[in-house]
Amino acid sequence: MTAIGKRAGRSAMLADPAPTGWQVLNRFTLGSDTAIQITILAVTLAIWQISASRLGMEFWISSPAGIWRAFGKWAANGVMLGDIRTTIIEAGIGFVLGSSIGGLVGFVLGWVRRLGDIFEPFVIAFYTLPKVALAPLFVLWFGIGMGNKIMFATLLVFFMVFFTTFQGTRQVDRDLVSNARLLGASRWQIWTKIALPHASVWLFAGIRIGLPYALIGAIVGEFIAAENGVGFRIREATSFYDTSAVFAGLIVLMGISMVCLAALKIIETRALRWQNVRDLTPAG
Amino acid sequence: MMAAVADDVTVTELTPEFSFTDVSVRFGSFVAMGPATLEVRQREFLVIIGPSGCGKSTLLNLAAGTLQTRTGSVLHRGAPLRGINHDVGYITQKNYCLPWRTVEANVRLPLEFRRWPAAKIKLRAAAAIAQVGLTGFENAYPKQLSGGMLQRVLIARTLAYNPSTYLLDEPFGSLDAQLRMHMHRELMRLWQTTASTFVFVTHDLHEAITLADRVVVMSGRPGRIKLIVDIDIPRPRDVVDIQSDPRFGAYFKTLWTALSDD
Repeated sequence: MTAIGKRAGRSAMLADPAPTGWQVLNRFTLGSDTAIQITILAVTLAIWQISASRLGMEFWISSPAGIWRAFGKWAANGVMLGDIRTTIIEAGIGFVLGSSIGGLVGFVLGWVRRLGDIFEPFVIAFYTLPKVALAPLFVLWFGIGMGNKIMFATLLVFFMVFFTTFQGTRQVDRDLVSNARLLGASRWQIWTKIALPHASVWLFAGIRIGLPYALIGAIVGEFIAAENGVGFRIREATSFYDTSAVFAGLIVLMGISMVCLAALKIIETRALRWQNVRDLTPAG
Repeated sequence: MMAAVADDVTVTELTPEFSFTDVSVRFGSFVAMGPATLEVRQREFLVIIGPSGCGKSTLLNLAAGTLQTRTGSVLHRGAPLRGINHDVGYITQKNYCLPWRTVEANVRLPLEFRRWPAAKIKLRAAAAIAQVGLTGFENAYPKQLSGGMLQRVLIARTLAYNPSTYLLDEPFGSLDAQLRMHMHRELMRLWQTTASTFVFVTHDLHEAITLADRVVVMSGRPGRIKLIVDIDIPRPRDVVDIQSDPRFGAYFKTLWTALSDD
């Protein structure tokens, strides 16, 4: 009862009006964005298929039909699900570890001005280093099992989340803090009610930037040394000149990262609802 | 929270809300303000005017305890100030609303800081929001509000914890003239319903005469108290009619002269 009442009250003030039947229908008719997007995809696939078969380029660029067959083969011998699982576990654990450590360290160094000043040169030194160059070292440290990929994904995510949170948190309006102090806030309350909510915007931005890096970390790790995983399968297919299987692997990766980004988007819109509110009219 | 007020001081109706005695503020060898001596009476509406940079805001910062000085003394209800004074509300033209909190949650903020029970916070916040005419906007975010409404949120937030003094530093400086007059009307109504003292800083003479019981004129840097004028225009005052009152013109001239022979 209350939930419904609340929602109704809010939507009357802030939300879009519900789409009418006609508008829903219109979204899928010719000329709508969705229709155009589907057309672009279809035309691209057609050109790809034709240039592969008619121009004899299948060896280099494979073809949609060839990729479809590679998918079938990959799925049929039961290896695909195992590979996907390996890569997702590596990237997933790396993502969780990297973003929580990166977020925490970035927040603390960003908020405590002195600490931030002290550590800034080190931070910049690490920032300029292409992190991928560390991958061989990680094989040495953590072996060729999953541990190595998890650590590498953690490292990449950590840096992305850390930098964004650190830079963002530093930009807090200090007047907001002194005003809160004037309103009676204790030190602890300034952390929990001002600093953390302020930093959460940057933390989310960092996490969004860091998410693809979890997958990059896992894949690069698998490229260098691995026994299974999607990245390993791509490299294996390349060494057999099996372009179709390479593309199949790439499409799986694309699918994984799109699902992750969509999930993140949902969480983010809920947590940062205040950023996306619309103007009220008329203004008073 | 109110450690600033010592127990051994008896506060009567005659105890000044604030007494500044020979207060001056220096930054190094640079004298920013003073020496100045000023008594703010309980429940009065005091307006401070003066040229920019004369230390009007410095006086408010001293009262709020965000600025301390070793020369001279600042007493709040008879007791020396130590640290931040939590018994004042400070409103400037800057938007101090937390963007991630709704109007209601912003108003709740000082009460959450004071660890009031949730039910009491809810009631008080609703009352404060109603008092500034923002009922219906509880769930809106600051981003969605106009300048005048944001100012009302800040006033409601101060109202919620009922401080004994409101320190207002050009609070309506960024509003257009018409809206400003609306806000004057509401502020006077508010001042009459609370038992609080208002200290209002501005450089707008119309604003000063409309609102004040007394107007304090400060001189240019280093700011000193130059003149104090009692505004003898009966209340309740109408923000429009008061401008055609013959006394209004006379006060305007007095204050204008005092300001311009700096």
